[in-house]
Amino acid sequence: MNTNNNVYTVIYTAIVVVIVAAVLAFVASKLGPAQDANAKAETLRQMMSAAGIKSTEELYAAKNAEILQLYADNIEEAYTIGLDGEKNGELSISQDKIELVSKLKPQHKAILAEGDATLPVYIFKGGIAVIPIYGAGLWGPVWGYIAFCPDCYTIAGAFFDHESETPGLGAKIKDEAWFREKFIGKTVEWGETPAFRLEKNVEATGATNAVDAITGATMTSKGLNEALNIWFKAYEKHFGLGAFFNMLEGLSEAETVNDNEEE
Amino acid sequence: MAQKLKETILNPILKGNPITVLVLGICSALAVTVQLKGALVMALSVIAVTGLSSLVCSLLRNTIPNRVRIIVQLVVVAMMVILVDQILKAGEGTYAIDKQLSVYIGLIITNCIVMGRIEAFALGNKPIPSLLDGIANGLGYGLILVIVAFFRELLGSGTLFGFRVLPEAYVPNNLVILPPFALILLGCIIWVHRAIDKDLQEN
Repeated sequence: MNTNNNVYTVIYTAIVVVIVAAVLAFVASKLGPAQDANAKAETLRQMMSAAGIKSTEELYAAKNAEILQLYADNIEEAYTIGLDGEKNGELSISQDKIELVSKLKPQHKAILAEGDATLPVYIFKGGIAVIPIYGAGLWGPVWGYIAFCPDCYTIAGAFFDHESETPGLGAKIKDEAWFREKFIGKTVEWGETPAFRLEKNVEATGATNAVDAITGATMTSKGLNEALNIWFKAYEKHFGLGAFFNMLEGLSEAETVNDNEEE
Repeated sequence: MAQKLKETILNPILKGNPITVLVLGICSALAVTVQLKGALVMALSVIAVTGLSSLVCSLLRNTIPNRVRIIVQLVVVAMMVILVDQILKAGEGTYAIDKQLSVYIGLIITNCIVMGRIEAFALGNKPIPSLLDGIANGLGYGLILVIVAFFRELLGSGTLFGFRVLPEAYVPNNLVILPPFALILLGCIIWVHRAIDKDLQEN
């Protein structure tokens, strides 16, 4: 057979391409659910690590099914807010309606454009509120989850992840436990710009709303700093108000105590 | 025949190693050798891709129109790479590693070893020897990857497979983590390889 014939060549390539496309489509549809489950479990691990429900090592050692169960046991409610700080929607907390990290990118754009954003807030048991952050690192996106104590300004925990930061340098935002642990107990100054900082010599100055950036990963730290500030700004009205009311409540409680003492 | 088969398998690992002798696949060897785990998964992925692509192309070798043979090879290799990537993403245990390797799994398509072996071997040989040739070249590539990753993880992070080996007092060397050091290390491996194997020395 003459395999150099034009008609043969065209038909041959067409058949090869159709077969390959069919194989790939079949495999993608077969493996899709498993991949989806992995991505969802990954998102939940990161959220629950920030919320401090279990240690990061335990969460990463657990099977997907256990992660889903743990989430169902600990989540209380989830809703979305707009840039005005008002609630503008409910999020389902059922296991098959988990918002993946890929949903953060359009939200990031909405924040920058000051458009209609639906920013998620997840409330876990004990009143821990978890919010996402998203931004650009050195090589690709960086994102994370920040958990707030019920007082609305103390950070209860954090978890960061990235797509392709340099291993051993920028990748430390995920790999090194000490980095995320540094956020615990720090406070966010709602209303100030910036509300939170990633900078040099924080330990020396003792600032409460800042964390040491990573040496050797200047660009990743810068990107993360920007991501934190853009997203904190977006959540400012929601949490800032919450923090304000909490403060008022705290004051009035203190007054009652004083009143009692006077009596 | 047995002698020829033995040569097909051993040659790519030693005398004709794709990285140290043919200097192919350097790009990914620099990129994914920061940690042993990643390097190992990458090596296994390349072994699967080179083996299966060679097998398929060898099966098709008498039907492929000569003028579009590179395109047909590319389609076959691309399919294998996407399959490997999809399978890694679907496995519960391999998902995290796939995320870590990110684009480099997809970039196996551009690894010269794969297309090189199809062109040089699979198109002129029977399927079984082609499969073995592909696997052996993947092994030769993987071997170097693992050696480089061993030193880079040990000196760059003080760990092996994520477990701490060197004492906490060891200050990780940041240069080791950056790609240029992999190139230096590769140079050293090529040097050692040539020093041992006199046949590779040029006059």
